[in-house]
Amino acid sequence: MKPSNALKWVMLSQSAMTFGAGIVFPFYLIYIKDIGGDFTQYGIAYGLYTLCSAYLNRWFGAKADRYGHRTFLLAGAWGTAVLFLLFPIITGIWQVYALQMLLGAFGAMQRTSEKALLADLTEAGKRGTQIGQYHFGVSLFSGAAVIAGGFLIDFFTLDIMFYAGSVILFVSGLLLLQASEPDREH
Amino acid sequence: MRRTLRRATWIPAVLLYAAAFGASVAVRLAMPTEAEATDVGRLMKAKVSKIVRINTTEDVARALEEARRRGLKVSVAGTNHSQGGQSFYEGAIVLDMKSYNKVLDLDVDRRVIRVQSGATWADVQEYANPHGLAVRTMQSSNVFSIGGSLSANVHGRDTREGPLIDSVESFRLMLADGSIRNVSRSENAELFPLVIGGFGLFGVILDADIRLTDNEVYRERTVHVDYRAFPDYVRTEILAKGDVALTLGRLSAAPDSLLSEMYVTRYEKTNVPVSAALARLAEERNVEVNRFVFGLSRKFDWGKSFFWDAQRSVYAKQNGMLLTRNNAMRPPIEFLEYRDAQKTDLLQEYFVPLDRFVPFVDGMREIVRSEELNLMNVTVRYVPQNEEAMLSYARQESLALVLLINSKRSARDVAKLEASTRRLVDLALEQGGSYYLTYQLFPTREQFAKAYPQAEAFFQWKRKWDPELRFMNEFYARYAP
Repeated sequence: MKPSNALKWVMLSQSAMTFGAGIVFPFYLIYIKDIGGDFTQYGIAYGLYTLCSAYLNRWFGAKADRYGHRTFLLAGAWGTAVLFLLFPIITGIWQVYALQMLLGAFGAMQRTSEKALLADLTEAGKRGTQIGQYHFGVSLFSGAAVIAGGFLIDFFTLDIMFYAGSVILFVSGLLLLQASEPDREH
Repeated sequence: MRRTLRRATWIPAVLLYAAAFGASVAVRLAMPTEAEATDVGRLMKAKVSKIVRINTTEDVARALEEARRRGLKVSVAGTNHSQGGQSFYEGAIVLDMKSYNKVLDLDVDRRVIRVQSGATWADVQEYANPHGLAVRTMQSSNVFSIGGSLSANVHGRDTREGPLIDSVESFRLMLADGSIRNVSRSENAELFPLVIGGFGLFGVILDADIRLTDNEVYRERTVHVDYRAFPDYVRTEILAKGDVALTLGRLSAAPDSLLSEMYVTRYEKTNVPVSAALARLAEERNVEVNRFVFGLSRKFDWGKSFFWDAQRSVYAKQNGMLLTRNNAMRPPIEFLEYRDAQKTDLLQEYFVPLDRFVPFVDGMREIVRSEELNLMNVTVRYVPQNEEAMLSYARQESLALVLLINSKRSARDVAKLEASTRRLVDLALEQGGSYYLTYQLFPTREQFAKAYPQAEAFFQWKRKWDPELRFMNEFYARYAP
């Protein structure tokens, strides 16, 4: 498969990924409030996510070089999809913290592998144009997700949003399967 | 080769994911559903088992049956205008009665309306108005449900009428076991003074027969009165003369005339017949403008002065205006709706004997100033003595002061307001008065017992009629022994 074709699949997949995550995350505070939390706990939950992901970025980066960036990107998408299935059934703030840390781990896989894969799939000299194009697509979906999420949450419960987000994240993984790993020897 | 590899990945992945998805949904569905109940004050809230929307009498019976089966408590809610958790309880099934709101019958000759408890006074007015009839007693505003009003035994602006219990002929009550009792002063009479003013603790009021009166034409007139002269004014100019139907006093919340300047709006009886034009029910106008002006008075002292002056010019404009009883009893209310995330408007009501009005207002002014309460509005109404309801607030002829206070909802500000409220309750008790139970649960148990000496008996009756304590709310939890 030509790299440009693979890049297109990665873009589609990551657009779905941002969309699936984006319809839930901006409204996450409502969820924290629902289980009896406040702004402090919201801050802790987000902080744990970021810290966990910061620490693991380096480690996953190195592992991904060895086992394939696409594999880690796929694990990030599917892992997050499964974690989203847990949100509707947890009841305590400590469970939220645990999930946020796991999300941070999968987030680290996603972020680092995405960038590495982009580097693999783009060509020197054209890289700026290609990455620009890529981010254009992904950002469009991200913006659309926030708007759609805000609209839908007025009609549905947050539980349903998590389920919808999860399905979209899983599909984003399926789309990624279409983009073959760039040849090792390439 | 790649293709088969891909298939080898995605088929099991889809199957596994579908299984995980199904498991999550199955667990979620098996979890108890939780809902959150609160009221317009938004100070208290509770995670409740669920909120059941009641449409039919069978819905009530079914919900009670479920509560018995699952061992859950039941709270009854109307329009949620109480402000102390009277309409909800942690873990309870909350019956939302708002859709149970049909007018069942109107006996025009006897002037009695039979109405389901979820209906509001606005519903009653709309139904009664074409027949030339009007409500006898209700709150100043018409947005409240009949069931909620009965449970709080509200009182109104008509100086010739007692609290709501006075205009109730009978009602049907569903007890915790699902049986239905007719309750009146002659049938199951024991329940009558318990349920009215009983905050939903004895059963679910299904429907009530409420006496109406004629829809007459009044002339509105507002006069300026010194607050020190108000008790005498009530005696000589309102009660003695008998030509005034509705009366509403208003004390200034503006800083430079705080609780000293006062206006009294009188609705005087006339012989003018109710024309078609007068009979038309008025709709609220200028909601957004009023909301804005009132919003200014929440935030700024000059806003309070501006609002007070604006009211004065409205009174001047309306002086001499003719209007029907029904229209006098549907004043603007929508502009007061307030959804600020951090603050809330709270109501409190204090009752003091006529002769103790002046010292009470003086004491209240001192408390408002020293506690820096953001007092927005104070209305004053007359309440004749009426001890029929067991939890009666009108054990003597009184003046009732309703305070609208804007406060932050943070724990610190609520604690501060709680302390100020206790000072106000002490003040009312010192003056031989009482306070209204429909609002926050700030008063101490001692203050409650002092203001309502019949409370102990009330709670004993509660346990007799509802031994499993099926009907429960935060009010009972706070004050019952």
